[in-house]
Amino acid sequence: MKYAQLVCGPAGAGKSTYCATLLNHTEASGARRDMKVINLDPAAEDFCYPVAIDIRELVSLEDVMEELGLGPNGGLLYCFDYLQEHLEDWLQEEMDQFADETYFLIDLPGQIELFTHAPVLRKLADSLTAWDVRACAIYVLDSHFASDVTKFISGTMACLSTMVMLELPHVSVLSKVDKIPEEERGKLDEFLHPDARLLMADLAADTPPRLAKLNNSVAALLDDYSLVSFLPLDVKDEDTVAVVLMHADEALQFGENQEPQEHIPPDADDGNDFAF
Amino acid sequence: MAEPAAEPAPAAGGSAPRRRGPVVVLVVGMAGTGKTSLMHALVAHLEAQGSPAYSINLDPAVSTVPYGGNLDVRDTVDYKKVMSQYNLGPNGAIVTSLNLFATRFDQVIDILERRAGVGASAGEGSTGREGERGEASGKAEKGEPPLEYILVDTPGQIEIFTWSASGGIITELLASSFATVVCYVVDTPRCAAPPVFMSNMLYALSILYKAKLPMLLAFNKADVADPAFAVEWMTDFEAFHAALEADSSYQASLSRSMCLVLDEFYSGLKHVGVSAVTGQGLEGFFAAVDAAAEQYWTNYRTELDKRIADKKRREDEARTAGVESLKADLAEDRKKAVLGGGGSSGGDGSGE
Repeated sequence: MKYAQLVCGPAGAGKSTYCATLLNHTEASGARRDMKVINLDPAAEDFCYPVAIDIRELVSLEDVMEELGLGPNGGLLYCFDYLQEHLEDWLQEEMDQFADETYFLIDLPGQIELFTHAPVLRKLADSLTAWDVRACAIYVLDSHFASDVTKFISGTMACLSTMVMLELPHVSVLSKVDKIPEEERGKLDEFLHPDARLLMADLAADTPPRLAKLNNSVAALLDDYSLVSFLPLDVKDEDTVAVVLMHADEALQFGENQEPQEHIPPDADDGNDFAF
Repeated sequence: MAEPAAEPAPAAGGSAPRRRGPVVVLVVGMAGTGKTSLMHALVAHLEAQGSPAYSINLDPAVSTVPYGGNLDVRDTVDYKKVMSQYNLGPNGAIVTSLNLFATRFDQVIDILERRAGVGASAGEGSTGREGERGEASGKAEKGEPPLEYILVDTPGQIEIFTWSASGGIITELLASSFATVVCYVVDTPRCAAPPVFMSNMLYALSILYKAKLPMLLAFNKADVADPAFAVEWMTDFEAFHAALEADSSYQASLSRSMCLVLDEFYSGLKHVGVSAVTGQGLEGFFAAVDAAAEQYWTNYRTELDKRIADKKRREDEARTAGVESLKADLAEDRKKAVLGGGGSSGGDGSGE
């Protein structure tokens, strides 16, 4: 059994930083796990972490754009179509080279299209399960989305739209919390643990009455299922990193294998469990 | 030319805001949904109607703009140069190009207002820019047909526009000058799978909360897949729920609540099926745009004015507070100086 975190989120949210931070944290804390980062962004150039597997060895965006005369968008979609065709004979083989119990962090590009339109990530998620890699999704959102309530709802809805497509156990992370000014920290707490009534009151103050019914159903949805409760992440604060890792482990049921157990039934985690 | 006599202050409660001027249509959508083709079809349709549209391209990375484009971000910023000059990847370069363009977007607004002023008979068309108005009305004599629509094409990757600071600035500038509606283009054939549809609608909902403008869903590629199924899903909650349950393995209760949220979302939403290829549905598209613009005037405009006023008030308060604290600091300083100079007579210090 191997493990994988699919690190998603919009461009600039801090996905690569998240990967680097987690890697450093694991090494520093001496936790017994073998963590490797896979880069799946064909446009990435500089890395702040050692790349174990790199999509650019399979296909590079620059080449695709040049040779096929595609723009950056078309190029990216082409790269991912190409990846989809070579999941087994490239990604699986690459991952197979690593020992059992390897813990992968998969750094993804930020384009939302990949999550909502292209079937490739869903296929990737399914393939991972088939290859006996237990996966969870980490959604990284920049904490400036927590600066006011409508932005926050906007961010959570985008997060939800990704969750809906991936159907994996899910951890949402609010990155760069150290960048939030002191006086807005109070608001942050409210968003980290959304409460329907508070959200509703805030939304009512911030949006016209016309949206009241919509607001209420959105707030109730978030509250009922604790669908999107965010964990704060400050890359300089080891405690927040440890908490995020703990939740991810929980979503992956990592560590339960450490017990001398023959087999974890593969259906132990079928991706339905959004709320945990 | 004289100002229109009955020009109400924007804040005047009951009176309807001014309704003149063109409607801005912000065309947003995921990459590959056919935004640019749709733009082309819309521009051609309006040309044929004898009411030419003003088209703006905001995608720095697009290679060709089939509809011409009256204004083009590529005329101002060269995305390839930005890439090499700032040593950025393609994404970073697009964002940076748009940021650079956004810093000059007030000039675009000026151009638009001048152009819009051409046809507006009463010299109306700019809101709240006194300086422009004289010039605008000066040109009103030339007898060009009034500008009814300004169509704006956005970068291919949706989040570059909807989630970036520059996208927000551009949207806000447009919305404070013109009736502005957001047109979310949906790739109909791809949406035939219920989870894709739901994911798309959740994203649209996210844009609604971000842009705070009237919204219109355009189900593009209607020639490939009839959007009737989508319309059914939007109007009949049970039908969508059944389709979703048949397709995927979600917890039933969860998908039901999500459907309920979306159901509420659809109720305030205009939607129309279009095809950029065959041109079907374009009439309906503009009818829906007009209806959305009506929503802008009846609801959003006053809210927008209120938001702007609120923002200004907060800034003023912050400034006043700043001045007060500065005054207090100065007084404190003076007191200290007095105390320092006056030796031990501390009790008198406050009286100085």
